[in-house]
Order: sequence, then C-alpha cells, then structure tokens
Amino acid sequence: MMDNELLKIAIAEPSVIIRSGITVALKRIPGFRIQPFEIVSNESLNSYLRLHKPDILIINPSFWGHYDITKLKAETQNPSLHCMALLYSAIDESLLKGYVDTISIYDSVEQLKDKLEKLTSSALDEISDENTNLSSREKEIITCVVNGLTNKEIAQELFLSTHTVISHRRNIAKKLEIHSTAGLTIYAIVNKLVEIDDIKKNMLF
Amino acid sequence: MSIQRKFSANHKMSDLINENHSLLLVISRFGLHLGFGNKTVCEVCQTNGIDCTTFLAVVNFLADENYEVDNTYENISIDTVVDYLKNAHSYFLDFKLPSLRIKLLEAVNQPEQNLPYGLIFMKFFDEYVSEVRKHMEYENNTVFKYAKLLASGQKDANYSIAVFQERHNEIDSKLEELKNILIKYYPDKGSNHLLTEVLFDILSCEIDIVSHNKVEDYFFIPAVEAIERKLNAVG
Repeated sequence: MMDNELLKIAIAEPSVIIRSGITVALKRIPGFRIQPFEIVSNESLNSYLRLHKPDILIINPSFWGHYDITKLKAETQNPSLHCMALLYSAIDESLLKGYVDTISIYDSVEQLKDKLEKLTSSALDEISDENTNLSSREKEIITCVVNGLTNKEIAQELFLSTHTVISHRRNIAKKLEIHSTAGLTIYAIVNKLVEIDDIKKNMLF
Repeated sequence: MSIQRKFSANHKMSDLINENHSLLLVISRFGLHLGFGNKTVCEVCQTNGIDCTTFLAVVNFLADENYEVDNTYENISIDTVVDYLKNAHSYFLDFKLPSLRIKLLEAVNQPEQNLPYGLIFMKFFDEYVSEVRKHMEYENNTVFKYAKLLASGQKDANYSIAVFQERHNEIDSKLEELKNILIKYYPDKGSNHLLTEVLFDILSCEIDIVSHNKVEDYFFIPAVEAIERKLNAVG
C-alpha cells in the first residue's frame, strides 16, 4: 500500500443506496487513502464546501436542479476542486460543462481507480520514485539538525545552498515520516547517528 | 465489515457499550456514570440532566464510520456539545497524556544499559503535550465561549466559526511521529511488554483524538455555523 496523502472525496447524491454504495466502492480502491463524505442535501453541500475543502466532489448533475459547477466552485471558494459527474445513464454533453470526468454507476473498482489516478497523478509520481533509505548526505544533515544548527548554518558547514538543505530536509521528513527536530533527535540517538552526550548541551534541560 | 446500526432513545445504555466499546469514552464524557442497570438511553440522560437528542446525535455520528453530512441541527443543544468537548479536553490533558507520559518513560528508560533515552523521549513528549494544551485552551477560552454566547442568541461581531475552521490544525501529527519512531526505529531489546503496552495506548489515544477532531470539524462547527446563519438572517 502506498503511503500517500488522505484524499477527501465528497459524494453529493440524494439516494442513500447509491451514496453509500459509492462510499464502499471508494474504500475498496487499492493504493488510495480515501475519506468519503456523504452529502445528503443541497443545503448541506453548500455549507460543507464552504467550511471544508475536499479534493474531489462526485455529484449527480441532474438532482437539486442543474448545477453550474463553475459558479459552485467560485461561491464556496473551492477553485481547485475536481468535480466528477455521477451518471445513471447517458446525458446531454452540454450539462457536463465544468466537470473533469464522469463516473457511471456501472464503473468497476478498476475504472474508478484509473479515474482517480488520472486526477491525482502528479501527487502519486512524486511519492513512488524514491527509495526510503537515507543517503549519507541526509544523515549528515540530520546530525547537524539534531546539534541545533539552523538551515543557514548547515548550508555553510556542508558547503551547500540553503535551498538544497531545505530540500534535503523535506526528503528526510518524507522518508522517515518524522517532521520535528525533537523527533529527529530521538531517531538519531536510538540509531546511533549521534551520541547522547554530544547533544545534551544543545538541549535545554 | 461490522454490523452498524443507529441507536435510539429506547435502547438500553448498556447495549451501546457492548455493541461498540469505544462509545464508553463518549458516555463518560457526557458525564454519565456506569451502573446503568437496565435503564434506556433516554432514562439515563434524563436522570443526569443531559439532552438526549444531542447525546444520541453524537453517539450515532461517532458510531457510523462513514461521514454523513446532513444539516439538521435545529434540535442540538450547543451547550451540551460544548460541555462534552470540554470534558474530552480535560480527559486528554489531565488524565490520558500524563498517564501515557509515565508509561513511556518506564518503557524507554534502560538505566542498566546506560541508555538514558527517557530524557530525549520526555523532551519530545512534553513539547507535544504543550502543543495540545495550547490548541485545546484556545478552543476552551475562545471558540466554546463564542459558541455558548451564540447559542444564547448573541452574536459576537468580531469572531466567526469560519475563523476557527481555518486555523483548526491537526494535533495528531506528533503522536503519529512518536508512533512511527517506536514502530519503525526503536531498537527493541527482546521481550518488552511495557513498550508494547505504551505503543498500544498511543495507538488508541491517536484514534481517540482523531474522532474527537471529527466531532469538532463535522458536527460542532456545522452546528454553530447553522446558528450563525439563522442569527444573520434575522438581522
């Protein structure tokens, strides 16, 4: 299972049977961490979109009146929302303006997976093309961080640009799933990258 | 998939716990005490002066693993929800996190091998707790006060629940980090029941915090927003 970001998907559809069916189908898609939200009425859709910013909205375009998706996105301040039209049957193309894709109630889990991958492809590539072992440069940087050096000081110490240091730190955080300095300190000590006595003086006990 | 059902006022309170044991935490945070006998949900709530509709709404919201967004908050008592959320905060800050701290210290300190890991783990943990404290105190002192005032019909023009929604940051990320460190990177020296135990506690505390945030984000905030809209419409 890929360790990727949680994908928030809102499903706006008045039929509880169809709505919860989609929720179950979405959870069956391998490789994605999905949190579906079932939206039961027109009014809840507006308030939900205003308060929470989902990544994808799956919406039945022919219920609750015909939706002007562009207007909905603007009104609820969701400019980057991906809207997918949920279709029971063939529909006039002109009603699909503003939707990035369509989902049929007869789609298979594989088809759903393909469609979601298309929408989120950039995000997935970034994660899959790396290995998770730390390079020796990254280990050096951890040692510096743990010793209390700022990014600028690390850059000077290792003859790198600050920008490079920041990008290394981002990779370290992603590989280890540790983001805080205190967390990296524990990592470095239990894995013997540094001696506890060396860093004691940098910690405010 | 486990069988899910919605609970109603006539269910026995004891059945709630038997069917979904995580509801035990919810029941205690509503200030309801064990020893329910065969009393129904409605009876127990009445005896304790708790609004039964609100109690059931929270219970069913949490028992359902799917998020259903339905704007029907007319009968929800904001005061009851706020008291519930405050009790949850006090549970985390005054009970759960201190008890985790003690267990963690016990599990990682290995003085006989001259590995004083306790020090660095405690620094990490205390930083985490102070983050959580800041987060929850802001909610207690600002957000909940605002919500209670709103529920009594007064609108504070200087604040709105959307402000809270935007700054409502995640507080489970550091706990997740601690979990990763223990699962992936901690050199476990053979059998260590203490370590397993504390990890288990961290995992259930994480789930607990996630569902606490779920109530705040998808139950409390929309309920408050609904009142805001009603008051704004009136003028």
